[in-house]
Amino acid sequence: MHHLDPDRLVLLALSDEPGLDESDHLDGCAACRHDLAALRDVAGIGAELQDLRDLPAPPEHVWSAIESEIAGPARRRRPRRLVPAMAAAVAAVVAVAGAVAFFRAPAEQVVARATLTPLATVPAGAGGSVRVLADGQMRIEVRNLPLTTGFHEVWLIDPDDLTRMVALGNLGDRPDEVLPVPAGVDMNRYSLVDVSDEPHDGDATHSGRSLLRGTLTS
Amino acid sequence: MDSDDELASRLRGGDERALRAAYDRHGAAVFYLAQRLLGNRADAEDVTQLTFVAAWTGRDGYDPQRGTMLGWLLGIARRKAVDRMRSAARDDRVTETVRAHLVPPDGRETPERVVDRLVVADEMGRLPEEQRRTLELAFFDDLTHHQIAAVTGLPLGTVKSHIRRGMANLRRRWEVDGAPSGSRSVGPTRAL
Ligand SMILES: [Zn+2]
Repeated sequence: MHHLDPDRLVLLALSDEPGLDESDHLDGCAACRHDLAALRDVAGIGAELQDLRDLPAPPEHVWSAIESEIAGPARRRRPRRLVPAMAAAVAAVVAVAGAVAFFRAPAEQVVARATLTPLATVPAGAGGSVRVLADGQMRIEVRNLPLTTGFHEVWLIDPDDLTRMVALGNLGDRPDEVLPVPAGVDMNRYSLVDVSDEPHDGDATHSGRSLLRGTLTS
Repeated sequence: MDSDDELASRLRGGDERALRAAYDRHGAAVFYLAQRLLGNRADAEDVTQLTFVAAWTGRDGYDPQRGTMLGWLLGIARRKAVDRMRSAARDDRVTETVRAHLVPPDGRETPERVVDRLVVADEMGRLPEEQRRTLELAFFDDLTHHQIAAVTGLPLGTVKSHIRRGMANLRRRWEVDGAPSGSRSVGPTRAL
């Protein structure tokens, strides 16, 4: 039996109606039916391509963020070499710092602490820790947070009712920050610490883009 | 222009300029896919960033024998976008404001369909000029072979062979990088 001519199949896929003989053949021939179906799919996709000819490139800051992410860890991994004189100076500073640490005031009393872990969308290297001191200060340390075009904000959330939350403040550029916990906030109830990525959009509510989370325990 | 093979081997060698070349060539398609899937520009920018960072970290995993670089990048982007949708769904319990992100814009499509369009469009761009022009007249203007011959001044036989070959090229590429119906019903992302 003769299969349908390839040019004819293409025409059928694009617009033509099959004639009676052609219909009969298609009914009995899986190979031609398969080819026609695939060509029809391609023609259908083809008809939708008009808008795709000059796709706009992503904004330039996207590339800057990629560049700094791929360059960052590699540079940090590179061991730092010190010339001997400098190494000696650094050793002296380290000795002094050690002495200071040794004579430091008695440890602050920690009333609660939490380990912050990244949400699924956040690189696994991100994380942090939180200590709440007896005087109501929260000390928070974070590492490897994804870059933001806005800012990072710290929240206390009620895990039993996730719409209830208290904003504690923003993280600066430093890896550690001290934020006051407002008086009257019950940390047994608002026990979920959340670090979010917030756009500068003037909207004071949570953006919904959480980066890190951890539960306070005493 | 480097072939995918050359680009892949430069990428594997740790050449950051190869990533930039891939970004220049395919960043717009990745960004488009993310926008179509997420319906919001800020998330699409994030997903574009995550995709190229993941492509860099996972550059050893790209095998040019198994598909084009665009197909590989779109696969990564699709996974990142799906992750983002899932986390948005989870965070939705945190705050009302997220709901706005979750309402699908009109005509939101399946990831497969958007990927299909992007790979076929990319293949269109690789066709010889006359073949592409002939196909565009058939697809966009719904012209018959005879009308195309009249419009372009090409002999009817040439029009026919351009269209047949062009369609065959698009089909081949779609079967390699797209989501033809055979595999459409089984993919793990189907549930979305
Ligand atoms: Zn047949």
